[in-house]
Amino acid sequence: MSNHIPVLIIVLVLGASFSIPLVARWRKTLIFPAAVTPLAISFGLSLYLFYLVGQQGAFSYHLGEWEPPWGIELYVDYLGAYMIMVLSSISLPVLVFASRDIHHDIREEVVSWYYTLYLLLIGSMMGIALTNDLFNLFVFVEISAIAACGIISIKEDRKCIEASFKYLILSALGSGCVLLAVAMIYMITGYLNFDYVAATMTEALSLYPYNILIALSLLIVGFGVKSALFPLHVWLPDAHSSAPSPSSAVLSGLVIKIYAVALVKMLFRVFPTAIYEVVPVLDIVLFLSVLAVVFGSIFAMVQDDIKRMLAYSSIAQIGYVFMGIGLFGDRALVGGLLHIFNHAMMKAMLFLAAGMIIYATGIRRIKDLKGIGVRMPLTMAAFTIGAFAMVGIPGTSGFISKWFLALGALDLGRPFYVAIILLSSLLNGIYYFPIVVNAFFGSKIEPHPEHKDVPASMLIPILLLAAGVIFFGFFPGPLLDLLEQAISF
Amino acid sequence: METIENLINNYYYFVAMVLFVIGFHTMLTHSNLIKKVIGMNIMDTSIFLFFVAIGYVHDGRAPIFLNGVEDHAYVHPLPSALILTGIVVAVSVTAYALSLIVKLYEHYGTVDADEIALIRSREDS
Repeated sequence: MSNHIPVLIIVLVLGASFSIPLVARWRKTLIFPAAVTPLAISFGLSLYLFYLVGQQGAFSYHLGEWEPPWGIELYVDYLGAYMIMVLSSISLPVLVFASRDIHHDIREEVVSWYYTLYLLLIGSMMGIALTNDLFNLFVFVEISAIAACGIISIKEDRKCIEASFKYLILSALGSGCVLLAVAMIYMITGYLNFDYVAATMTEALSLYPYNILIALSLLIVGFGVKSALFPLHVWLPDAHSSAPSPSSAVLSGLVIKIYAVALVKMLFRVFPTAIYEVVPVLDIVLFLSVLAVVFGSIFAMVQDDIKRMLAYSSIAQIGYVFMGIGLFGDRALVGGLLHIFNHAMMKAMLFLAAGMIIYATGIRRIKDLKGIGVRMPLTMAAFTIGAFAMVGIPGTSGFISKWFLALGALDLGRPFYVAIILLSSLLNGIYYFPIVVNAFFGSKIEPHPEHKDVPASMLIPILLLAAGVIFFGFFPGPLLDLLEQAISF
Repeated sequence: METIENLINNYYYFVAMVLFVIGFHTMLTHSNLIKKVIGMNIMDTSIFLFFVAIGYVHDGRAPIFLNGVEDHAYVHPLPSALILTGIVVAVSVTAYALSLIVKLYEHYGTVDADEIALIRSREDS
């Protein structure tokens, strides 16, 4: 039984996703437990995966007992277990929040389909985190692309439909690039399994260098579009700001990160590292990440819709993850990967807090948020913690990952990037602090008859995530140990 | 001369690349949403063509051997099998995109991205 755990995690979530419409026909009240249980179980199993990897080292699982290179292989190492942990621990509170919030955004008849799409998205991302097969990776990428568009367009407001169409077209473009890259790699190596491809790649590099270069650039463009790397981010602001708040939280917190992880796996496990000394691929990624970090923040400053501002801030924050990849050093990569979890916590929480404000008062414009802290003290306290973490104030988790990125840059003798990190932190401060200050010290907003009370089922997820941000700000040790082992590819 | 010869011998790769660029271009530059979806399909098809061409062997047949005798060259079946999955994915993305276009048409009365942007900017101001 225990040796089937990697596939069980994925099958459990995907299976639950497809059984929810049936559950909904039987008992409407059971939908929520049916959706939460698999995520909770997969969170528990992800912790067990850590234990297993610690005991016996990285291991692989052969689907249907077909040995590679013929069968599909799942590969569990610290990075995979870490991503499963991130996915399940963030998606769980967001789902609890969604169980209440989603009813005011979408029609009652499609609520059960929301859970289906949500679990489908989480399950496919878990697949991306664990798979060790190029084509399987493509299939999971496509499933998550459709599910991600689905949880935007389920709110049948025309803005959402338009945003999700744009997202669908661009992510289809990204998937096309990824598939062509898979074809290029398969053409010269004859394998789809990561390990077998990696073994033949060095030889192939001397015979067919162009194929490998094209595959490499297609992968960077493909995954870059999907994870909104700076000049390819055009779909993100619309999609993330118009979607229902829980969808925005997972889209910004998890979906854009998983493609960065897929790219990390491709770059460091499949392609020979010698190639990066000859071809400046990582320098290009680094250059784009610097642009993302600076311009994402600058665009965020001029927004007047709170969710749109958070969406632009995500573009800046994904830049840090790519900076960790592009610097190509151990500590920088640890910082980048740690930022995946930290930013997932912070941004999910900020989007949920924004969603809470919209739910309770209907206010979206930043200017109108004056005095909201007096009306909703706990929500705004969480928002403040999130804002501090975004800026990187010590004592919040955002500080740790920026610290490690900066140390990584210094290790490599590139202090320029430390300056960029500082600059971007200042820019973050410029657009987050006014909101916080105005919320607590601005003039009080008049109580409105339409204003609703804050339900506990929506508040608890936000407070949990806020507690996580503080906790991992003070005790990052276990995560750092784990990530240091995760990057020994 | 050598390049041209290579191109002629491997014309299917060349055609696939040309189709890819046509699809890519259509997808990004046309404002008509239906044309965007068509461009997406052309692009996907070009990749399928490319993938299947990798496994093709001249004069090859399906890998079915009667009485266990391996008497002819056979076409590599794996790329074709993979592409079946790829086609299914492309069909579902297309269906979803078209259904979104139907919804957009209901809301705006047009399938042109520029006109939609115009309508929205008029309403915002």
